[in-house]
Amino acid sequence: MKLNIIHRNEQVLAGHKIVGNGVLFILLLLLTGCEKDLEPGLPSSQLIGEAIFDDTATVDAALTSIYSGLRDNSTVEGTPSGATVLMGLYADELDYYRADAQTDAAFFNHTVLPSNGAVDGFWNNNYALIYQSNAILEGLEEGGLTMEEKGPFMGEAYFLRAYLHFYLSQLYGEIPYIVSTDYTQNSSPSRMPLPEIYELIEQDLLQAKELLAVSDASGEHIRATKGAASALLARCYLYTQQWEKAKTESTAVIEGGVYVWQPELDQVFLRESPSIIWQLKPEFEGAATKAGEIFVFENGPPPLYALTDLFISNFESGDLRKGIWTRAISDGTDTWYHAFKYKQNTALGSSSEYSVLFRLAEVYLIRAETLVRLGNIEAAKNDINKIRQRAGLDGTKANSVDALLEELVLQRKYELFTEQGHRWFDLKRLQLANEILGPVKPNWNPTDVLLPLPQQELILNPSLQPQNPGY
Amino acid sequence: MKNNYKPTLVVRFSLCIIVFFTVTIHPIAQVTNKLVSGTVTDIDNNPLPGVNVLIKNKNRGTTTQLNGSWELLATSQDTLVFSFLGFKPVNKIVGNKITINLQLLEDATALDQVVLNAGYYKVSNKEKTGSITSVTAKEIENQPVTNPLAALQGRMTGVNIQQTSGLPGSGFNVQIRGKNSITAGTDPLYIIDGVPFNPQSLSAPDVSGNLIPSSDLSPFSFLNPTDIESIEVLKDADATAIYGSRGANGVVLITTKNSSGEKIRFTLSAQSGLGGVANTQKLLNTTQYLEMRRQAFSNDGMTEYPPNAYDINGTWDQNRYTDWQKILLGGTAYNQRYNATVSGGNKNTSFFLSGGYQNETTVFPGDNFYKRANGLAKLNHNAADDNFKVSLSTAYSIENNKLPGGDLSFQALTLPPNAPQLYKEDGSLNWEEGTFNNPLGVLEGEYKTKRNSLLVNAQMEYTLLKGLLIKANAGYQYSSLSEYHTYPNTQFNPFFGLDSSSSAIYTNEGARSSWIAEPQITYRFKSGEHALQVLAGFSAQQESNTRFAQYASGFASNALIRNTGAASFLQVTQDDETIYKYEAVFGRVNYSYGKRYLLNITARRDGSSRFGNNDRFANFGALGMAWIFSEEQALKDKLPFLSYGKIRTSYGTTGNDQIGDYKYLDTYSTNGIAYNGTIGLSPTALYNPNFGWEVNRKAEAALELGFFKNRILTTVNYYNNRSSNQLVEVPLPGTTGFTGVLANLDALIENTGWEFELNSTNIKAENWRWSTSFNLTLPENKLLEFPNLENSTYANSYVIGEPITIQKVLRHTGVDPESGTHQFEDFNGDGQISIPEDSQAQVDTAPTFYGGLGNTLSYGNFEIDAFFQFSKQKALNNKVFGTTPGVLGNQPVDVLDAWQEPGDITNTQAFTSGSNPERSLAYFYLSQSDAAYSDASYIRLKNVALSYTIKKVIKGAGNAKVFIQGQNLVTWTPYKGQDPEQTQGFLPPLRWVQLGLSLTF
Repeated sequence: MKLNIIHRNEQVLAGHKIVGNGVLFILLLLLTGCEKDLEPGLPSSQLIGEAIFDDTATVDAALTSIYSGLRDNSTVEGTPSGATVLMGLYADELDYYRADAQTDAAFFNHTVLPSNGAVDGFWNNNYALIYQSNAILEGLEEGGLTMEEKGPFMGEAYFLRAYLHFYLSQLYGEIPYIVSTDYTQNSSPSRMPLPEIYELIEQDLLQAKELLAVSDASGEHIRATKGAASALLARCYLYTQQWEKAKTESTAVIEGGVYVWQPELDQVFLRESPSIIWQLKPEFEGAATKAGEIFVFENGPPPLYALTDLFISNFESGDLRKGIWTRAISDGTDTWYHAFKYKQNTALGSSSEYSVLFRLAEVYLIRAETLVRLGNIEAAKNDINKIRQRAGLDGTKANSVDALLEELVLQRKYELFTEQGHRWFDLKRLQLANEILGPVKPNWNPTDVLLPLPQQELILNPSLQPQNPGY
Repeated sequence: MKNNYKPTLVVRFSLCIIVFFTVTIHPIAQVTNKLVSGTVTDIDNNPLPGVNVLIKNKNRGTTTQLNGSWELLATSQDTLVFSFLGFKPVNKIVGNKITINLQLLEDATALDQVVLNAGYYKVSNKEKTGSITSVTAKEIENQPVTNPLAALQGRMTGVNIQQTSGLPGSGFNVQIRGKNSITAGTDPLYIIDGVPFNPQSLSAPDVSGNLIPSSDLSPFSFLNPTDIESIEVLKDADATAIYGSRGANGVVLITTKNSSGEKIRFTLSAQSGLGGVANTQKLLNTTQYLEMRRQAFSNDGMTEYPPNAYDINGTWDQNRYTDWQKILLGGTAYNQRYNATVSGGNKNTSFFLSGGYQNETTVFPGDNFYKRANGLAKLNHNAADDNFKVSLSTAYSIENNKLPGGDLSFQALTLPPNAPQLYKEDGSLNWEEGTFNNPLGVLEGEYKTKRNSLLVNAQMEYTLLKGLLIKANAGYQYSSLSEYHTYPNTQFNPFFGLDSSSSAIYTNEGARSSWIAEPQITYRFKSGEHALQVLAGFSAQQESNTRFAQYASGFASNALIRNTGAASFLQVTQDDETIYKYEAVFGRVNYSYGKRYLLNITARRDGSSRFGNNDRFANFGALGMAWIFSEEQALKDKLPFLSYGKIRTSYGTTGNDQIGDYKYLDTYSTNGIAYNGTIGLSPTALYNPNFGWEVNRKAEAALELGFFKNRILTTVNYYNNRSSNQLVEVPLPGTTGFTGVLANLDALIENTGWEFELNSTNIKAENWRWSTSFNLTLPENKLLEFPNLENSTYANSYVIGEPITIQKVLRHTGVDPESGTHQFEDFNGDGQISIPEDSQAQVDTAPTFYGGLGNTLSYGNFEIDAFFQFSKQKALNNKVFGTTPGVLGNQPVDVLDAWQEPGDITNTQAFTSGSNPERSLAYFYLSQSDAAYSDASYIRLKNVALSYTIKKVIKGAGNAKVFIQGQNLVTWTPYKGQDPEQTQGFLPPLRWVQLGLSLTF
């Protein structure tokens, strides 16, 4: 239609017998001739997607970006927007001392709103990494690598996808499980019932376990391995009360011969500790872990957070973890305690610690719990005592199922504190949140077991409605 | 085209014969040529050089000399025509006079002579068929502004401009005729002296984002406003379709000054000014504040103050009071500007040179400055036979901007009034034993930027045949910006225990270069009443942007913080080069009959590298028509008071390619972040190869009238723009892994509006002159169609039939007198308030009308100019600016009417310390409700300029002018907040008062 106008131009021109007609024609020719000139090439910092998946080095770089994403901006990081801090404040681990109220204050006060930045962050960051996992799986499918070359990469992608969905479902409850990169589908997914989510997590992890190697190339357990897949499987089976399966998976990790118990408390979090199943390496050699940077302080009052009085006072007497994994800071009148699992809090010549996501102690605790549930009291006590002994405590005196379960809650509390929100997820999973947080959190509301879905997400995707109860 | 006609020998011979016979046949007639001379001056007796003195009906004449004098051989029967641009022409019969001295009167309303720059062509205001408005050098010079865009505020119909911050160097939001697109850029196309100018800032968000809203370090401030001759804004299809794919949001043409005559002319000017924040907010004093806090805790049933409630638990002195607005924002900013120009030349060659220097400080504490040095050089040459013309223009500037590490505006409004002192007695920052996050901490860091900008343009014109011209326009633009922002450990609370191993710096080096080449051919043809102009051209353009950004942390000492090589950790966050290529052919045919009927056809075919191979080219075009009915004899006789009347109308299409480069490719980018030594690769964006051009259809009709010899000139415009198939970044939910995807949206948006302009010369006496200009715009925006809106990601944002500028919010129904908590309307009746289900109330933040009113009054050597800007609009108010009332943080005094006990009727809910979840939630809902918006209409005394001219101070010819100018002087507004134009959390536009002196000789 617009060409008509040009044609009309030409008629007018022709009427006056002017060279313009020819000029316009020449110009049009010139333009069509120049079509190739309009090819802008590629920006210097980008690669064509297809090219990525023909080369193991670039696939590796694509996976690397998920690990750095996990470390720098995901749920499991130790910064004030990760679950270690936020769910620690939300449960009974941490007290809040920041002078200026930030998004984290709402977690401490149990006044989390759908517009809270961290609520957005958990959601968007995890799904962004899920997208990357899916892109790798789809890319490898099309790409030119052999099955041998791409198998381990696929295993990592399956594992990471499951791991990310696991945290999302723990925080928000029913969520969509995203398995493709197609935004036309992914822009209006519905929420999925929890059993289905667990089923998909299990499927992904079983595939991952099949494909993954026993150890990663670095030997530092900084990438997903078969052991990590088994550990996550064990955790999921525990959460879904599939005791037998949980026992099998945890036993596989404990007795697989890859990981070795670390008997010294002060060496558990060192990067070379043989009991570490999966850890995230800091961005550069010498950097401290995020948790080290955030928790450690030198003067009181604490600038950010400190362990709660209740947490400190309930340490069993003689528990070495109080002296080694926490530290007292006093200003003369008051005393505060900070988590001190990671000692390095600032950049040094080399990093002594990485950020640990799975370690053997948790797997022992998982197995102990399943053994109790299966009625295997003695074996369970053995596993519990493994933990107690290292902490300088005598063997447990609990003998009944109930007493042992209670002991397990306690050991999990003191063994796994300030690690990716274990305490909160335990309270939620064992339905203890009401009972334990009710008295210490004035604003506690039974609906607080789930975070609200991000407000922006509900606006953009109406099929996620309704909002979680209580928000 | 004058003087092109060269008589051949034969013709000359014939002429001689005719003259001979005339002489011989009528021997009585006085036909002898005699020497006639005289001087032409203006109304103040200043000599006017360059005035054309022509003998009527004879192709002969001269121009006046520098002293205004002229001489000419003429006969007694000859009529001399004196004409000069901007003055009324005068006819004089020679008669028996040999000396003719006369004064020319200025003719500001000579429509024929107001020539507008329409980009590829020029058109007189009278004969234009499209909608073009302009602001001239005088209006710009009267305003003490650094950025040319600032000078346009309120001056043009259909052009809405907002300043985003009061910090020097910050940017402006410019919207021409409403919001055309749901999310894509609405920047107009800018062209400076024929070179397209990319308005995107080269600054990086992680370097300047916390200081400059949207990191928009406006590239326009490279240009000294006093070097600008005119700024034209093209609005309708007729004017913009020749810019095709980039014309949808309007076109802004900036033209720099040229030599004004043959005389060597110097101007020198110096000025200095004071700036400050014009409005403060009334906030709680310490007594009121602490009372609020106490109530908050008691309302929450807390008897013991928590350990981190330092303001009230006894940690901080409860008798202190500090007016933080005064301390943090109350400073005075200074500026100095110096400018010098020299221009002149001869009949064939002229030049214009301008150099300027300016500096400006901020209102914040600390040593901050913005400095700019700039130069402009222009050269024009016409070959002796006028067949060849060439002009060159070069503008260069260096800008240095040093700003504090953060904008303190938010702290100034929210710090508790009893917060501790800023400094200890020893002069160091006071952190009050770690309990006080000292707002001046950010001043330990610094932000610094350096920008060099170059704009070069060359134009050549060659006359092939009579009326047939070939032209070429070539331009080059280069701009480089280097910036850094330091975050030394000393800016943080020392109780974090940080040392210089935590100090960090962000740096960014950006550069942009572009070239354009535009060969053109034009033809003019005139025969009797018919006049035809034809233009055809080709345009090729390329732009490349490079960026190199780094983050470094961990220094042995803060003294090394500028040296990224000394950092223990160094990360290249971006290292990129992008290229944009663009090609087009365009044409224009303009036909007029009897200077009454005008027809203008424009067209363009565009190709852009931003689109994939299948959608690379698109066509645009427009048709404009005008009828100057005041030229019809019948009307002239019947309506003698109507000196000018025109109806014009236009219709056409334009597009928008502001989508970013390479968006049609599926790519992975490096993110610069290492994991175990490998730098990661991640998907750049969601990939959609199928997007195409968007289309913007514009229609316009206007009536232009002039009365009483054009003493009163009015224009009424009606426009209707519809944009469809919009190419936008469609927002997506997080489950897609991204925040959006570039796609075509089937939405149809309509922008309509009425625009009124009135210019009148109220008094025009020898010594007195008073003129008024008024403009008013009534815009309206409507979402006409949006197939499947309910199921799209926009379902909760837009409503068909309503403006796209609406926000869907909760409806606040007041504070429940029983519970003391904000209440909202439960639209869906499910017994609870939830977002988005109950966000069914609508608030529109687009202005319902806006405009300006200016008056210029001159008496003798005095001149005063006052300009008011006004807007009727709604904006976010101070209710949602800070924290929940009752939480640590100061509040506006409006919260004093908070609910106290059952039965209280009030609009402010009971205070909460943040631990009452219902009230915290209710306050959050309030921020998402219609109560968060209120009237932000204003009338602003935008500019006052008062000047006194002392004539003939140097060599009896030069003028000296003393002036005082003010910007943003007074604002009348019911707005609850600091400034209705403010970007929340950033410094509002400042009030400036400027004193200066200029010399012209």
